[in-house]
Amino acid sequence: MNGLPLLPAVTVEFIGSALAILLSFIALGYARALVRLQPNNFIWGFFFYFCIAMAAFSLSRGVGHIVRILLVYDGRSEIWEKLSPWSGGFNTMLLISVAAVTIYYHKGLAAYKAIRLEAEKLSEANAKLAAGARQLQQLNANLEQMVDERTRNLSESEKKFRNFFENSKDIIYFSDIEGNITNINTSGINLLGFNSSQETINFHTLFKNTSDLERYLLELRQNGFVSDLEMECRGKNGAVRHILLSANAIYSHQGDVVGCEGIGKDMTRIRNMTDQLINHEKMALVGNMAAGIAHEINTPLGIILGYAQLMMDDFSKDSEGFSNLKIIERQTKTCRRIVADLLKFSRQSESIKTHIDLNEIIREVLSVTEHTLNIHRILVERRFASDIPPVIGNAEKLHQVFINLFNNAQYAMPEGGKIAISTSKTSDDVLVTVQDTGTGVADDIKNKIFDPFFTTKEVGEGTGLGLSVSYGIVQEHGGTITVESPVEDPETKTVSAGTAFRLRFPAVTNNLYMNGSMRENG
Amino acid sequence: MKRADKMHIAILILVFLFGEAKSAWALQSHPPPEGIYVHQMAHILFMGALAYLYWHTRRTPAIASKGWRYLQIFCIILFLWNLMAFTGHEISEYLKATDIIDKNSLNEQIAAPITFAKALYYFTRMDHFLNVPALLALVISLRTFYQEARKEAER
Repeated sequence: MNGLPLLPAVTVEFIGSALAILLSFIALGYARALVRLQPNNFIWGFFFYFCIAMAAFSLSRGVGHIVRILLVYDGRSEIWEKLSPWSGGFNTMLLISVAAVTIYYHKGLAAYKAIRLEAEKLSEANAKLAAGARQLQQLNANLEQMVDERTRNLSESEKKFRNFFENSKDIIYFSDIEGNITNINTSGINLLGFNSSQETINFHTLFKNTSDLERYLLELRQNGFVSDLEMECRGKNGAVRHILLSANAIYSHQGDVVGCEGIGKDMTRIRNMTDQLINHEKMALVGNMAAGIAHEINTPLGIILGYAQLMMDDFSKDSEGFSNLKIIERQTKTCRRIVADLLKFSRQSESIKTHIDLNEIIREVLSVTEHTLNIHRILVERRFASDIPPVIGNAEKLHQVFINLFNNAQYAMPEGGKIAISTSKTSDDVLVTVQDTGTGVADDIKNKIFDPFFTTKEVGEGTGLGLSVSYGIVQEHGGTITVESPVEDPETKTVSAGTAFRLRFPAVTNNLYMNGSMRENG
Repeated sequence: MKRADKMHIAILILVFLFGEAKSAWALQSHPPPEGIYVHQMAHILFMGALAYLYWHTRRTPAIASKGWRYLQIFCIILFLWNLMAFTGHEISEYLKATDIIDKNSLNEQIAAPITFAKALYYFTRMDHFLNVPALLALVISLRTFYQEARKEAER
């Protein structure tokens, strides 16, 4: 029986070894390419080391097989016997190496997976962060746009209300609960006589009348608002203004009143005009009444005076009857003078009017009265404008007007003082101001001082007709007379004690000036 | 301790270990069967490693692609090759010197009668029929990985 030839097996061994070497190195080449392509990939790294081990093993084993076949079949078995242990040893060592690399794959892969997982998480987190950042950026851009738009709108609105606030001719103010003004517009500052908004102003202290303040606070507390409250407001300079006030309470989040915002309209001018109108009507009424009374009394007084003078002829001058008739004559003349004053007040007396230089009239009056004034320690200050136009009037009556005013000024300055007389030209009028530094006129009697028989003097010291007559004369001349007390300097806005009478007379135009004097009945 | 000092100590230890290797050191001897034992154990270790690699790649969904399937084929075939080689080494231990005739010549053959052991030996001598396909599977696997990686890189 024949044996089984080993040549096919040897052939397979020879070719197979060569192929194994070739394939293992091809695999190593791919593994190396993978590592180069993705150096950070652990798996490729593992394959690379695995393939190195496999290639080394295949090389060792394949070469061993080939060398063995070549040596043994070439009859040099003794060489192979020496090489055989080395070849086998290498094979075993590399076999273990391949196995070891494979086993280490486990730990390496686990670590790689953990790192990869963390990296993926990080990547995911980064992606989310980037998406969030993008969204945030977009939102931010929208927000910026929105903020810009809102800011612009707010700015426009603020500008609009700021303009309204600043340009308003009325007082607009904001105050805290204590009344301290936190914000006030320029008109308010000017109207109240303050220098700047930096000054601490307490609105409550500006109320002249306590009753008005109490009503203001009560209505704010009870209703939350004050509507059309007429108040007298005393500014920093002491000037009193009539204010029509409307205000609203400002509430906190808790609903407590924390302050107030209000608008005050300066009604002083309208109030003065109304008062003047009322006064004018009153004076006209009183004038008519006085004229009627004067006419009615004048005739019997004339008869009494005539008869008294006739009867005086029947008595000797040293007789008691003559003395009695003399008293009747004197008192009757006094009555006639009063009647004449009443007629002057009511403009019922006749007068001759010519072109008058008011500076000259005042100089004439002062030439008579200044000495007396000086005796009473009253200094006279003249501020005459040289270019004032003439006025049409009666010199005698105008003398009387200024005499009355100077007398009143003297009475108001018992301890002495100063009378400043100024004349000036306005657009259509000649303005004369007689200002003293006396006691001034109380507010409650300002509207009465021109009334006939109204006087603050003691009984017997005055008839109360001086200012009434002056008023009547000025009216007769088509002018006006007003009183101001205390006095505010129009330039410095400072207020000083005393009284100022301002008289306005219509100035003569050129045409009228050419026509010369004229005669009128009052 | 300096590096040079460490080197000196290491050389000294080696001299003691190898230069003066006497029974006093109780060195273990390595008689002839040890080599084959170690080799066989290496095969077993390699089989275990391959089995583990196969098992692990099967149970990991993250690495389930075409390249990994070829790698699994590589594991299976190489595992079988190991088994075959192991068997070949084992069975050769049972053959006697007379079982191979015309040894170390081209007419070398297994002497008749052909027993199961002899047939098995003959069969295991052709282990390259498994070894080469296994390496081919490895090549294909890595080639597939490379192509996929390149595509990914190009993307």
